[in-house]
Amino acid sequence: MAARSEAAYPVGWKSGRVASWLVTVDHKRIGILYIATSLVWFVAGGILALLMRTQLATPNEAFLTKNSYNEVMTMHGTTMIFLVVIPILAGFANFLVPLMIGARDMAFPRLNALSYWLFLLGGIILWLSWFSKGGAAHAGWWSYPTLSENFPFTSPGHGQDYWILSLHILSLSSMLGAINFIVTIHNMRAPGMTWMRMPLFIWAIETYAILLLVALPALSAAITLLLLDRTVGTHFFIPSHGGNLLLYQHMFWFFGHPEVYVMVLPVFGMISEILPVFARKPIFGYKAVAFSTIGIAFFSMLVWAHHMFTTGMPVGLDSFFMISSMVIAVPTGIKIFNWIATTWRGNLIFDTPMLFALGFIALFTMGGLSGIFLAAFPVDWQVNDSYYVVAHFHYVLFGGSAFGFFGGLYYWWPKMFGRMLDERLGKWHFWLLFVGFNLTFLPQHMLGLLGMVRRIYTYHHAGQWEAYNLTSSIGSGVMALATLVFLVNVWRTNVLRQGVRAGNDPWLADTLEWYTTSPPPPQNFDSVPYVTSARPLRDLRRRLAEQAQ
Amino acid sequence: MRRKLPSLVLAVLVALATAGVATAANGGFTPVEPASPNAHHIQHAYYLILGFTSAIFILVETLLVVFVVKYRSRGRARAVEGAQVHGHSRLELIWTAFPVVILAIIAGFVFYELPNVDSAPAAADPIHVTVEGHQYYWQFDYTDSPDRARSIGTLHVPAGRVVDLKVVSPDVIHSWWIPALGGKIQAIPGRINHTWFQADPGSYDGQCAELCGVFHASMRATVRSESQQQYRHYLATWQDTIGKQIWNGVCATCHGNLGQGGYGIAIANNSLLTQKSGLEGVIRNGFTGAQGAMPPVGHTWSQAEIDAIAAYVKKHIYKTAPLGGSNGG
Repeated sequence: MAARSEAAYPVGWKSGRVASWLVTVDHKRIGILYIATSLVWFVAGGILALLMRTQLATPNEAFLTKNSYNEVMTMHGTTMIFLVVIPILAGFANFLVPLMIGARDMAFPRLNALSYWLFLLGGIILWLSWFSKGGAAHAGWWSYPTLSENFPFTSPGHGQDYWILSLHILSLSSMLGAINFIVTIHNMRAPGMTWMRMPLFIWAIETYAILLLVALPALSAAITLLLLDRTVGTHFFIPSHGGNLLLYQHMFWFFGHPEVYVMVLPVFGMISEILPVFARKPIFGYKAVAFSTIGIAFFSMLVWAHHMFTTGMPVGLDSFFMISSMVIAVPTGIKIFNWIATTWRGNLIFDTPMLFALGFIALFTMGGLSGIFLAAFPVDWQVNDSYYVVAHFHYVLFGGSAFGFFGGLYYWWPKMFGRMLDERLGKWHFWLLFVGFNLTFLPQHMLGLLGMVRRIYTYHHAGQWEAYNLTSSIGSGVMALATLVFLVNVWRTNVLRQGVRAGNDPWLADTLEWYTTSPPPPQNFDSVPYVTSARPLRDLRRRLAEQAQ
Repeated sequence: MRRKLPSLVLAVLVALATAGVATAANGGFTPVEPASPNAHHIQHAYYLILGFTSAIFILVETLLVVFVVKYRSRGRARAVEGAQVHGHSRLELIWTAFPVVILAIIAGFVFYELPNVDSAPAAADPIHVTVEGHQYYWQFDYTDSPDRARSIGTLHVPAGRVVDLKVVSPDVIHSWWIPALGGKIQAIPGRINHTWFQADPGSYDGQCAELCGVFHASMRATVRSESQQQYRHYLATWQDTIGKQIWNGVCATCHGNLGQGGYGIAIANNSLLTQKSGLEGVIRNGFTGAQGAMPPVGHTWSQAEIDAIAAYVKKHIYKTAPLGGSNGG
């Protein structure tokens, strides 16, 4: 196996400190590369957000306007979705899937490396597009034609073309990764690990991978047609020549909504791993949590047009998409209640991963509930495309996904690097982020209801608009500070090597990745215990305790 | 102390949210004060959903806080396990069924309110207006008026009359939204959408809600709901002001209020402003040159409108801006 030969027979240049990372096919190193790269883009995308919040802090500001603002806004969205949340979750999955199921590596290690390098390439192309003729893409992250078409007053230049190229490459990367996860999970589980004994994170990754396989081709098709329109003169989305703009919206959101769950299901999985360990309990209702994941994924493919309620669809279609969107709230509610029940009568230990997990529940609930307003289509007609929606999806994607992956980082950091992140800094990070996040995004609900539409670079209203916008901008500064604390923590732990060394299982956790050393050897395990429940490590601890008596 | 902090902050948040619901109807806790029946009925649906979601929010966050406080470790060792409860089928069934019931109520209420939001009162005798979204202005055509009156940026309607809007766009997707007068509807090239309102007397602002390009932020609209008399007056005199409306709504966005330049070039001292035929060519066909490009803004305008804007710029813009003003950028 490739991973083993790397360790046992180091040959020449490939064993260098840098080179060994460049040629690695070890899933753990690839996972870490994914996560590190995503965090770099998290900082970059965050800086773009700060630029926008600076511009919007006060009315009639002239700091970042017109197309510059539109470029920054488009790049912020595209970066955060395609270069941060999706790949960082792919990174976690890469690192964790083989370890959690007791395998030595992914099923296709070289394909795995290819996925990462494609991701890096796609990201670099997207960010180099700042320097292309006409600047970066500026038609928003969903790039609706005709605004994204190649006309003098829509999106001339090459930014949009590079955006399309980048998304094609990133889609390819995600597709290959998804295939790899599915094959690995189906074929390489430890002896005894039946489907009902799999960690819930593995359930989440299995579902996430299937969703990617189903949804991504729709995106690839949509942006291919757009590229053809832009470069070879077809008219798929040019109405004056018989094109249809709603076609693009349908194709895009057929991908776009499952995409939301691609970004949040793995985080659900992480929360389902973290909560029980820090509550010292099993997850409440394993089957309900596992099957609700599948339920969410299934229904997520039937709700796409709730992004299109204001396009003048027939009321029958509006009604269908309202009901299907509301149906999704049911399995999501099951998860929330099961997670809360998991803390019931526990021995709750508030280490940083647990704080982020609890923060996730608190914030994601808010994002889920504001989604009910958006599902009820007459209400959506009022709040759609306003800051209310911006607030809603940031509660889902930052309060949800980002709080989740930060929790995951604190939880699995000792397994990745053999050192614990500092708890004191971790708590500062959490509380600053929690307060900053709510300061930033809670007022945006109000702004949307007051009538502030999204994607505007300025406004002229003083009073409440200004107060809420200023609060939001101050909040974004607090979030930046929180992120700085996190980076200092990482620096302290890994570069200054001040992090406390972790044993195999610092949290007394339940799943197989904690059976091996921290960090694990290249081959992961010398042996894997026979799995008899969903909590093999707890079983092991109990057996050892019994033997000791 | 440190362990209590999470619960404390959560409790404060819950209190804030509750206070928010209590002070509803101002400060952006509900949509802006409705001034049209459809907006009123949307507001009803909003209140119902707000009621249920607030209750669920408070329930979830309270449970979370209570459990966090009550089952905190209190110095127990990590090895001490909590109750090894693996689930409870009946409880899980309850919290599956309970949201279903609530969602069914919400959906039922939406369907109950829908006819009042979606369609205008049947007995109404509506006036018809075609709303055309353009980069970056709203154009209103009063299709009932004999000479097809037009206005730019401001829509004049008689208060209390049902106004039927046909919403279209010739360039990119825009979205029509006057918050006080109901929901949005996209103006999509190649499609015809409809919406309506029946406005109380007053003036209502809104702006384009779908990113439409550089000046998306400037694409504002005002609805003046006025007396029948004022409305008639506008329809009778629209040609007197259309030159000024075009300048303010169409030209000034790029060329500046005084033609001093901005995103587009400075034109205040350009002699083209005095040459009607040349000016008409640029307005109708657009322009591409070393100084930049201009869209063919007026390629569907009537001769009367071309004449009006030509007369307006000649009289009010040409050589009125301070010399040596900004030259673009």
